[in-house]
Amino acid sequence: MAQAKEEMKILTANRLRNGETVYYTAAGEWSPYVSQAKVAATPEDIDALTKIGAAAYAANLVVDVNVIDITPGGDVKPSHIREIIRASGPTVRSDLNKPAAPSQRS
Amino acid sequence: MYIYDKFDHTITRERVAEFSQQVARRLTGELSEDQFRPLRLMNGLYLQLHAYMLRVAIPYGTLSSKQLHMLADIAKKYDRDYAHFTTRQNLQYNWIKLDQVPDLLADLASVEMHANQTSGNCIRNVTADQFAGVAGDEVEDPRIISEIIRQWSTFHPEFLYLPRKFKIAVTGAPKDRAAIQFHDIGLQIVRNDAGEVGYAVYVGGGMGRTPIVGPLIRGFVPKAQILSYLEAILRVYNRYGRRDNIYKARIKILVRETGQAEFTRQVEEEWPLIRDTGVDIPAGEEARIRAFFAPPAYETIAEPVVAFVEAKKKYPAFDRWVSTNVHPHKVKGYGAVTISLKPIGGIPGDASSTQMHAIADLADTYSLSEVRVTHVQNLVLPNVKQADLFAVWQRLGEIGFADANIGLVTDIIACPGLDYCALANARSIPVSQRISERFADLDRQHTVGPLQIKISGCINACGHHHAGHIGILGVDKAGVEFYQITLGGAGDEKASVGTLLGPGFPGDQITDAVERVVNTYLELRSSPTETFIEAYRRVGAAPFKESLYGRR
Repeated sequence: MAQAKEEMKILTANRLRNGETVYYTAAGEWSPYVSQAKVAATPEDIDALTKIGAAAYAANLVVDVNVIDITPGGDVKPSHIREIIRASGPTVRSDLNKPAAPSQRS
Repeated sequence: MYIYDKFDHTITRERVAEFSQQVARRLTGELSEDQFRPLRLMNGLYLQLHAYMLRVAIPYGTLSSKQLHMLADIAKKYDRDYAHFTTRQNLQYNWIKLDQVPDLLADLASVEMHANQTSGNCIRNVTADQFAGVAGDEVEDPRIISEIIRQWSTFHPEFLYLPRKFKIAVTGAPKDRAAIQFHDIGLQIVRNDAGEVGYAVYVGGGMGRTPIVGPLIRGFVPKAQILSYLEAILRVYNRYGRRDNIYKARIKILVRETGQAEFTRQVEEEWPLIRDTGVDIPAGEEARIRAFFAPPAYETIAEPVVAFVEAKKKYPAFDRWVSTNVHPHKVKGYGAVTISLKPIGGIPGDASSTQMHAIADLADTYSLSEVRVTHVQNLVLPNVKQADLFAVWQRLGEIGFADANIGLVTDIIACPGLDYCALANARSIPVSQRISERFADLDRQHTVGPLQIKISGCINACGHHHAGHIGILGVDKAGVEFYQITLGGAGDEKASVGTLLGPGFPGDQITDAVERVVNTYLELRSSPTETFIEAYRRVGAAPFKESLYGRR
């Protein structure tokens, strides 16, 4: 029997008021930094993230809510290029890219 | 230029007030996202990858310098100090905050602009030849009928909920610079045997996942009856267009599935029912609108203009820029300048607020305060005296927009692609940048000659890849960007849909592939004057396929 593929996911959306790309954190807040996203690695935790996203959408905090895949191990990094670009900004305007999260700045 | 009357001002202001209330209700949660989405789309507001995007209508691509100054101010005040000119002659802001949209729209309205009907299943912003009113080959200025269509289609109650979006383009000249046969309706202003001016009507063209060159359904509609004829087309579409499948809802599918002859019969049957019911524009109103587009007071200038001729002799780079970027003007001593928004390695169609202000200043100083937007994502100063061209060229050089590449291999159309767009499958802009850099050598560009490359990041084809001499379509292949090449498309009066050459190329190979296609053309062209598209039509796809994929 094949082993189930390990799944690691995070919750992302856009803030209703300003459209900013945000990630749900372990502190229960929405952060602009993907590095601060809460990672879910079990079906139960992923389900919980999905419900949190639905509740935040219903509460008109965020829109375009999605649970997305990240690459296993190390820093939190989305798997798909679309989400990599959402997390960091347009690849053609490095001046507009998001800076590192405050805790990661040297 | 058209100037708003009291009615235009009133409906624009009222629309801003209405949408401002809707935004407020959304922010308080009184409206859900499902309820709000269709409302914001009707006002040109999208949600993209990084933020909200606002699409501003630029009717038939015509702007006053005052309007361009305001667009620049808005870019600085509400966005990140730049904006993007699109293939529909519109302008998009990429980093808009929902709670600032009411103020932004009020600023737009103050210069007679808005974002109405730039999205949704309605009649969108009408587009036209960027050289309207100044091209020597036009039968009549297409801005007149374009403005009439704008007024007729704005908030038209019968056509706000069509099966799908609806785009109309107009050319006033036999040389089609508006890609009319790739529109839901394309109008060509023509003169019949009796010398009367009217319209040839093409219906059912389009790009997207089903590219079709629109067929001619009527060779001549009298000028005074064009609105009732358009209304007859829209009525047939509204009645029979599919609403069950978004991919089959455009009028092109209806025309194709109904058959051109039967569709035309239905329109011709509908037309008499509404032709004499007051739908058409009264003669006096047509004259009133025509007056807004009366030729300005041009100076009488004898040619040759000595200073202009001398400058071309003295500065070869200026001479080259004139050869590609200055279009002949119908009035002696003038030229129409196309400002390339395609600097080598730049982002096609993007301009900073500083650049927009500088161009607006140039329009004020040298072009009777008028600017045009082209569907190729460039800008035009339509009325520049030849004696002033050198000064314009120098100033454009200072703001980075003096590239002498209009119509050449680096004058690339690219949609925003996956760098911004929520619908995209792949990035478009970096591909255009790498190709632009590969062909940066201007001597080489001029050796290659006229060549249109158009890039789309998904099958919706905002980058017009189907109409590119070389078209590039970005696709997602198991999470990796790949790029397919089509050849032989054209968006002019000899419109054609490009043919897919074969399997796609990864992002790091697409520039090499394009260069191989270009080199193949250089090897097989019959003479240096045979253009890429002419050579392709003579030899077909085979030699290009072989250059990319080898013998099969």
